[in-house]
Amino acid sequence: MDQECCCWNKDGIRQADCPEIGAGEEELLVSKRQRNLDKCCECPRFLNDLKQLHDDANPLAPVLTSFLEEYRRQKTQIQSLVSFLDIKTLEIRFLHELGSVLQSSVDLDEVLSVALTAITSGKGFGMNRAFLLLCDREAGMLKGYLGLGPRNMEEASRVWNEILQNDMDLQSLAQNFQHNKLSSEREKFHDILEQLTVPYSNTEHILIKALEGKRPIMVERAYEHPDVPPELARLLGVDTFLLMPLISRNRRVGMIIADNCITHRTITEEDMHSLETFGFPVAFAIERASLYDKLQVELKRVTEAGKKLKEQQELIVRMENMALVGRITSSIAHSVRNPLMIIGGFARSMLKNSPASDPKRTFMESIVDETRQLEGVLDEILNYSDSLYPTRDFWDVNQLVETVLRDTADNLTSLGYATTYVPGYHLSPVYIDFKQLSYCLRTVLQNDIAGIGTDRSIVINSENCADGVILKVEDHSRDISQAELDHLLVPFSETRDLGAGLGLALCKTMLEKQGVLFVAQSDTHDGIRYTITLPTRKEEHS
Amino acid sequence: MSRLLVVDDEANIRLLYAEELKDEGYEVVTAASSAEATEKLQKGVFDLAVLDIKLKNESGIDLLQKLVKERHDMPVILCSAFSCYKDDFSAWLADGYVVKSGDLTELKQEIARLLAKKMQKEKTKL
Repeated sequence: MDQECCCWNKDGIRQADCPEIGAGEEELLVSKRQRNLDKCCECPRFLNDLKQLHDDANPLAPVLTSFLEEYRRQKTQIQSLVSFLDIKTLEIRFLHELGSVLQSSVDLDEVLSVALTAITSGKGFGMNRAFLLLCDREAGMLKGYLGLGPRNMEEASRVWNEILQNDMDLQSLAQNFQHNKLSSEREKFHDILEQLTVPYSNTEHILIKALEGKRPIMVERAYEHPDVPPELARLLGVDTFLLMPLISRNRRVGMIIADNCITHRTITEEDMHSLETFGFPVAFAIERASLYDKLQVELKRVTEAGKKLKEQQELIVRMENMALVGRITSSIAHSVRNPLMIIGGFARSMLKNSPASDPKRTFMESIVDETRQLEGVLDEILNYSDSLYPTRDFWDVNQLVETVLRDTADNLTSLGYATTYVPGYHLSPVYIDFKQLSYCLRTVLQNDIAGIGTDRSIVINSENCADGVILKVEDHSRDISQAELDHLLVPFSETRDLGAGLGLALCKTMLEKQGVLFVAQSDTHDGIRYTITLPTRKEEHS
Repeated sequence: MSRLLVVDDEANIRLLYAEELKDEGYEVVTAASSAEATEKLQKGVFDLAVLDIKLKNESGIDLLQKLVKERHDMPVILCSAFSCYKDDFSAWLADGYVVKSGDLTELKQEIARLLAKKMQKEKTKL
C-alpha cells in the first residue's frame, strides 16, 4: 500500500484531495482524527485500502472490518437518538408554551380554542381535524361542543397557506381562532356535533368505553371495528381516528376525537402518547375554566343575595322608623283630636240649641271656629308626618288621575268646576306612592287659594317624557301672582292661616321626598299650571 | 225609627254622638268596647253601626270584620282620627268612612245616605 497516496493517513490535506468533504467542513482538512471518524469510514478510497489489506492477508483486516461495522451501527443509533431527542425537545417546548397559554386563561372558550388549535396546528400535533366533547354531569351525557379543521381539501389548502404565511405562535393562533372563527366553526360542524352526543348509560359505545377506561384509543378500520357504531364511522367519514379522554383529578371532563381526514397521514403510537401527555393540562384547564364559570354564577348570585339582604335591612330600619312615626302620630291623633272633637261638638250642640238672643252665643261661636281651625292644623301635621316615609311601587298614571277625579267629582261639581282629562298614549308605569300622589292631586284640584275667576275649568294632560311621565294640571280659575304662589309652597310659612296654607307646601315636600319634580307656575290672566314629573325608574332618593 | 249602635271607648264622644243623633230622630244605643258591642248586637237588632277604629287596646277593624261576617246586611261607618285610613285596604270593608270632627255634618249625611240605601235594598227584595 502506497502510504503517501492514503489521504486518511495524512495530517493535513487539501480540499481537492477528498471528494467527501464539502463546503463548511474545512476544519476536517486539518483534523485527521475527526476526518477519519466522519468521512473516511464511508470513503471508497479507505474501503479500497481496507480491501487491499484483506487481499494481503493482513491479520488486522478482519478486526478493522468488525470495528468499522460496529462503529457504523452505533453511529446510526446515535443519529436516531439525536433525532428522537430533537422531536422530544420540540414537543416539550410546545407543551411548555401550551401550559403557559392554558394557565393564563380561565375563559372556557379560550381554553377550548387553545386546545383544538394545539391539536390541529402544524406547530403542535398537526392533526387535520379535532372535535371536542364535554361531559354534562347533570344530563349524564357526553356532548359534542366544538370542532376545528377543514371539511375538504380546498379549504385545507387555503387555511394551511394562511397559517404558513402568518407564522403565528400558539397563543396568537388560538386568539385568532376564538375571535374570528369560533362561532363559524361551531356552525360548520353543527350537524356532526349534534350527533356526537352519547349518554353515559350507553356503556357499549366506544366513546363511553374510552371515557370509562380513561385511556386513549386508536381506532383503525373504523367501518369494520366491532366497538364502533357504523353511524359514528359514517359521521366522521374516516377509517382511522384517535379518541383521547380528558381526565382531571380522576374526574371525566370530556373527550377529543382527532383524525387526519384530509392528508390521511398515519396516526402513530408516538402521536397517541404525545396527545395523551397533552390531554392532562387541557383537561385540567377545561375543568378549571368550567369551575370558574360556575364560581362566577355563584358569585353573582351571592352578590345579588347580599344586595337584597342590604335592601331588606334598610327596609327593616325604614319600617322601624315608620312604626315609630306611626306610634307618635297615632298618639297625637287620639290625644288631641278626641278632646278637640268633644269640645267642638258640644259647642256646636249648645250653639244649635241656644236662642239667638243668648249673649253667650258669641263665645260658643268662637269655640267652634277655633276648634275647626285646630282640627285643620292637626290634619296637616298628620299628613306631613305620613309623608316622611313614602311607600313606592309601579302604578298606572291613568288609574291615579281617574281615581282622584272620581273622589273629587262631587266637590268640584258643587263648586261649578268642569274637569277634563286628556291621557297620553302608551304611558309608562310610574314609580310613586299612590296614596300620597292621590292626596297631592286632590289638594291641587281642591286647594283653598283665593281669587277664583269666572273660567272654572281644570284640564289635566299626561304624556311620556325622557325622565318619566309628565302630568300637567291647568287650573284656569285662579288669580294669584307667582310670588304669592311661591310663598304658599314653603311649609308652615303661612302662620296667619295655617289650616289653609300648608296644602300645597305639603304636596311639594311629599313629592320631593319621592323624587318627583313639582313645579307650580302662575299667570295672573291664565291661572295656575302645575307640572308634575313622575319617575318611571326605580331609583333611590334621599 | 232607625236604631243605631255607636261604639267608642270615649264616654264624652258616646254622649255627643247620642245627643246629636237623637236630635236627628234616631234611637241610639252606645257601647264602650268590642265585647259590649257584641253583647248588644246579640240582644237587639240595629239598622246601622258607627264604629271607632281604635278602641283602647282593641282594634275597631277586628270588630268591623266580625260585624261584616255576622251582620252583613247592617251598614257600618268607621270613624277615625286619621284621614289616611281611608286608603287602607283593611278599612274597605266598611260601608262608610268619616274622619272624627266636632262638626258632625259629614257623619249625619253618611248615616242618612246608608240608611236610605239599605231601605232601597230591602224594598227591592220585597
